[in-house]
Formats: sequence, structure tokens, C-alpha cells
Amino acid sequence: MSAAQKHWKAKDIAKDVAVLSPPDDLAPLPEPYASNGLEPDYKAKKPEWAERYCASLDGFVALDTLERPENEEAKKEFVERFLVGLEKLFSEVNANTVQPLMLTTDFCAKCNTCSDACHIYLSSNGDELLRPSYRTDVLRRMYKKYFTPSGRFLGGLVGADVDVTWESIARLGELAYRCNLCRRCAQVCPLGLDNGLVAKEIRKLFSQELGVAPTPVHDKGTMLQLKVGSTTGLTKPAFLDNLEFIEEDIYERTGRKIKFPIDKKGADVLVMHNAGEFIAWPDNPAAFAILLDEAGVDWTLSSDMMGYDSVNYGIWYDDVQARKVALGQFKVAKELGVRRIVVGECGHAHKAIAIAADRMTTAEDRVPVESFIPVMADLVRKGRLKFDPSKNNFPVTFHDPCNIVRQMGIVMPEREILKACAPQFREMTPHGVHNFCCGGGSGIALMNSYNFSDYRNKVTARKKFSQIINAFGEDFTNPDVVKYVCAPCSNCKGTIRDILKFYSATSTYNVQYGGLVELMVNGLASMEKPYLEFLQD
Amino acid sequence: METALPLAIFVVIALIAFLLLSAKKFVDYSRWSKHSRFDLYPIPKEGAEKNKYGGSYYEENEWWEKGRYTSVATEVTDLAPEMFFIRKLFLHQRALWYASFLFHFGIYFLFGWSIMLLVGGLWYPHPEWVSVIIGIVGYIGFILATVGCVGLLIRRIFSASARINMTPVEYFNLFFILAVLVTGIVSWLGFADPITIAHEILTMSLVNVPVIVVVHLIMLGILLIYIPMSRMAHYAGKYFAFHKVMWDNDPNTAGSKVEQDVIEMNSRKPKDHWSAPHIQA
Repeated sequence: MSAAQKHWKAKDIAKDVAVLSPPDDLAPLPEPYASNGLEPDYKAKKPEWAERYCASLDGFVALDTLERPENEEAKKEFVERFLVGLEKLFSEVNANTVQPLMLTTDFCAKCNTCSDACHIYLSSNGDELLRPSYRTDVLRRMYKKYFTPSGRFLGGLVGADVDVTWESIARLGELAYRCNLCRRCAQVCPLGLDNGLVAKEIRKLFSQELGVAPTPVHDKGTMLQLKVGSTTGLTKPAFLDNLEFIEEDIYERTGRKIKFPIDKKGADVLVMHNAGEFIAWPDNPAAFAILLDEAGVDWTLSSDMMGYDSVNYGIWYDDVQARKVALGQFKVAKELGVRRIVVGECGHAHKAIAIAADRMTTAEDRVPVESFIPVMADLVRKGRLKFDPSKNNFPVTFHDPCNIVRQMGIVMPEREILKACAPQFREMTPHGVHNFCCGGGSGIALMNSYNFSDYRNKVTARKKFSQIINAFGEDFTNPDVVKYVCAPCSNCKGTIRDILKFYSATSTYNVQYGGLVELMVNGLASMEKPYLEFLQD
Repeated sequence: METALPLAIFVVIALIAFLLLSAKKFVDYSRWSKHSRFDLYPIPKEGAEKNKYGGSYYEENEWWEKGRYTSVATEVTDLAPEMFFIRKLFLHQRALWYASFLFHFGIYFLFGWSIMLLVGGLWYPHPEWVSVIIGIVGYIGFILATVGCVGLLIRRIFSASARINMTPVEYFNLFFILAVLVTGIVSWLGFADPITIAHEILTMSLVNVPVIVVVHLIMLGILLIYIPMSRMAHYAGKYFAFHKVMWDNDPNTAGSKVEQDVIEMNSRKPKDHWSAPHIQA
């Protein structure tokens, strides 16, 4: 169906159709992808997915823990539990978020200014189901119907017209995972309302009341982290083994004998990495070690169960889990007696520990938190890290992670670094606080159940891929020119890795990706050989 | 002489109700102002330089050692175009801005006109120039608000994307406002002097009121009572959304006001609790 025909009303969320709105009319990609035939189609959907889960929103399944009830009784019970949770969302038990939630549900003027700010809505070619305010509208109408006098007495006249059924609730839950929580929509709202936050609140209701959340963010996310120390499943012994391997690798590649400082009491800096880096991108923690060693920083890693993985998936869907993780991380830093926590290349970990956890407890139980970016910029400014920019003499573009930039205001230090070490740096359009999300934000980068990775690659990350193509201009199609997409965030990096592979952009056009510190190490004047693998012979 | 004392009393009550209900709205929302952080940049109080590109104190190495700099001046200069000219709508959705701006700017004029009527009604009789100024402000307000209101209605009726998510009450609201504006225009252009009516209301000496003016004043009174209870009270919401949510980026440092709020937040004992198994465990 053409997106122009997808004028969904809020009450259509309960419509009795097999699939409400499949993403089958996407915005065209720029050349060469508009004509090169390299964009893969969606994988075939299997009927059993829809039989077992809610695939009736758009044919995709994010909530792989929400199984269809076996009978009407179970459906009814689910609806009742949802309504209990819905009431709690607007009550004192949710005091930490009630104000922005109520403002958004109470005052949205439905001007739809948010729509054109949303990369997912734009990628869908304007499917109204993906309008940022759509899910807010559904939630508002459900609440109104059951919990306000006007809704009870006037019904549809005041918009209390959405049927609350298992199907409509499940679709709403799915819809909350068709948002990256990037909050670009809130940035343009004339009333300052935040539909991204509402998506997170819907996720919260599902998790905290119904016990429903995607496996990668909950069971294999926060639950696993609180049990073994990392969402990757990395245990302390494995973590320590990994560090040894990375030390050997650093030596082999650079000739530098660097020992990771571990559990160093009273160190100036506790560096916290996304543990995924140790497994998927060991070059990244290695680059940190090289830079901090070269600059002579007094730093340490922690091997405590809550100290070696900076992630906190709780901020995407569950405040209780977020709190458990953040307080555990602060405790580790306090016990080590470090002066500050420096967060490595993980956007949501930045926001989790610096912003979301800032008001969880008093200064007595915390240590100051900062991003690695101003730390590195300061080392560059003071000449403790010196570059030979000719080593990075290839086109570089920069992806601004939403959590670090739009939601923390760290914009210029990374550009200062790039200008010092990457002579062919060029911005994406738009960039800085007005950037588009990579498409993997808020857990979507991790969610690969059934066909969900297709949704990410083709829909949520579509705008970012377009931006990457446009940023490199004529260089994009020239495979002889190596091009580097710099993304200082694990989830963004994972998403970009996936889209480059999905669209064969690396194999066809030589588009590479990586973090900021790898690029910095590659540009260090003191490095004898290239550090970036794709530059090595 | 036919007295219209009940009408005068009703208008005064409606005015007071508008103020009290609006104040209640502010109080209700301020009850929830101690909450988590939801920073969204640019944040103007970070100062003019950082506000240009959306920077924050987190750009400073060891930011907590540097002292907190905030700029009220930048906040005010950034907010003024938003308050008076709806800048975000102008920048991001120009097509809607024309009608919305005319409507809201007209309302501001009418709000100013109402205050002038209060002054003019109390300072009575007053020099001619006072009446002239009040008249000009009223004309501008009615024209802008009416044109804007019609524009908004046209969009809500004819734009498919606007139409699909509007509820009947949202059409009613605009028609209601339009009816008040139109009856106001007819009343004050053809049937009565608004300053005289204001004087008579304030002195409780309202007499011989033409039917159209009665209709207008009753509708206006109902509208004043209705606005703070409806979505139209977004004048209250906008303050909180900007100042207490998006722009509230004050860090929780030792001895700060934020720290006191955190202590209070952590001492809350909500009657209810979430029920998922992992929370109960």
C-alpha cells in the first residue's frame, strides 16, 4: 500500500486485519542505491511468527516475549493488567517521569511538526502509523477512556475511542519499539513535548507491570548484566583473559608493551567501556589504552562484576533495572576510590550514568562522571597527544550519537579532535544536535529476533545510510578511495556495521567504519604502522 | 432600565475562575517538578556561545571543577521569539505557522485589550486617547485572532493528516472560539462600547445590554472557565515542558538544591508498586 494512503486513525490500532501497515513503500535511497539494485528485500515472513506473537502491526516482531494468550480468559486478564499499569504510569509510583509524560499527553496540539523530524517516519515515506505522536495519541485515548470523567461520559467526542484489546495493546507495545528514543521529535515541538519519552513510558509499562520486554534488552540484557556482570555474558575470568589477548595484540601490531591497569585503587580515572567492545571491537579498548598510556593518564579498569560493562539497557525500558545497574556502577567507583568515571565509546552509557542516574542518589554515593570526548580533546589541546594528520588522509564523516550530542550537549570537542587528526573530515547533513539517529538507538541495534534486523536495516537506519552516502559525495562510488564513518558509540557502530554489510557498501564502495579513538591512534605521530585494519597491507 | 446584574456577576466569576483554574493548573504540574533529568540540547541557559550549536558544560574536561555558568539573558532572548512568534513552528512547519501565529498573536492582543478594558473601566471617564488606544488594540486582536482561527479550522477540515488525529472536541474548541470572536466583533462594532460595558461590569451597574452582547459575554465567560480545563491550557504546559523538563540540566552536586530534591525524591513512599516478576523478586 502506498504510504500516501496510510492515514491511520488512533482507533485503527485495534482494526481487525492481519497486518495493519507493512513498510512496503519506503523513501528512495540516494544514488547509487536508487538504481544499483544492491538493496536487499525483506526476508520472507513465516506464518508461525504471527500465530505465536503480535506480528499484526507491520509484520515484524520486536516483543519476542509477548506470546498470544491461549484463550479469551487469558486475553481478558492481560487487558486488565495493562489497564492497572496504565493507571500507574500517571500516578505517584511513576513520579520521576509523570510531569513530562502528562505534559505530552495533555497538551499535544497535533500540529505534526514532530513527524518530519523523525527519521523512521521519513524513511517510511510518511506512514502515519509511525508519526511520533501516533503512539501518544493511542495511549492518551486509552487512558481517557478508562480513567477520566470526560472519556467515560463523552467517549468518542473527546477522543476516548480506542478499543483496549489484546491486539491493540500488543500493537502499541510493538509500536514503542518502532522508535529509537532519539528525541529529535521533541527538539522541534513548538510546545516542548516529548513523544520519544512516551514511547519509553509505554515500554516501561510493558516491562515493569506486564513483565514483557525484548529478550536482548531484558533477559539477555539487564538481567544478565546483574547476574554475571555484562549483557554480553562476559564473566570476570573471561574479561581478564580478553584483556591479556588485547595486550598481546597491541604488542604485535604496535610494538608497545601496554598492561591494562586493573582495579587500581585511588586511580584518577576509572574508564568504563561497553563490554561489547572487548568482544566485537577489541581495537577500541586497545586504542583507549594506547592513547591513555601515551598521554600518561593515571587510569584503571574495574574487574568488579558491575565495573567492566558500562551499558545500562534499563534506560530504554525499565527504570527499576536502570537504577539497579547505575547504583551498582557507582558503588564500584566509590569502592575503588577513583576521582572520576570516564565513559568510553558508548552513547547510551553516557546518558545512563551521567544524566539518567544523576538524580538517583546523592553526591555521597557517586563520583563525578564525564565523557571520554572532552578528556581526549583536552589531551590533544595540551599536546599530550600529537597527530600526523597525513596518516588519516582519507574522507572521514562523523555520526553524532544522539545520547552524547542531543541529550548531553557534547558537540565541539569531538570536532576539535577530528580537525586535528582527519584532514578530509566532512560533516553529515544535518549534524550536531540536529543529527539523525543511526537507527539502532534504544536497543534496536541489538534486536535481531525473527525478521527484526531487516526492519532496522531497511527502515530505522535508512536515513542514516542516506546521510552517509551524501556525506561522501562523489567519493562514495569510488572503491579506490577508502572512506571512514566515525561513530563513537557501540550501538551506533553496530548499526552502521550492519547497514554497510546489508547494502554491500564496504565490499562494493570501500566504506569502512569505526570509533573515534581508533582514528586517533591511527593518526598518532608516534605510530609506526597504520592502526586501522583496512589500511594495513 | 433593565438591569443585567447576574450577567455582570457571571463575567466577573468567569474571569476569577479563569485565573484560579489556570493557577491550579500550574500548581498541579509543579507538584511533579522534582524528577529525573531529560536534557535536550540546545539549552539556552548554557550561554549564547554554546546555545548556538547546542553545547553544554559536559564539553569541559572535569566540568565539576569549573563552576557552573548559566545565562538568564540567553534564556530570555531565546525564549522570547518562541513565546511571541512560535519560532519552532516557523522553522519547522511554515504552512501551519501563518494561521497559528496570527491566532496566538491575536489572542495576546486580546489579552492585553482585556487588561486595558479593566483599566479603562475603572478609570472612567477617561481621556479620549485612552479609548482610541484600547480600540486599536482591540481591532488588531480581533482581526488577527479571527483570521488565524479560520485558518486553523480550514487546516483541520481540509488537511488529511490533520483530520485523522483530531477529535470532535478539537473542532468544537476552534468553532467555540470563533463564535466568541465573531459575536465580539458584532457586539463591539455595532451594538455597544466595550469600555462602557467593562465599566458597568466592574461597578456592577450593567443595564440595557443588547442581546448579541449578552450572548457574547455568556459565551466568553464559559470559554474562560473552559480553557484552563482543556488542552487549550498549553500556555501552562509550555512553561513546564521547556523550563522544568528539556532545559532543566542542573547537575546534582553536593550541597545543591538538586541534591535536596533528590533526597526528597528518594524519601517518597508511593502507595502503589509495579507488579512485574523481576521487580517483585
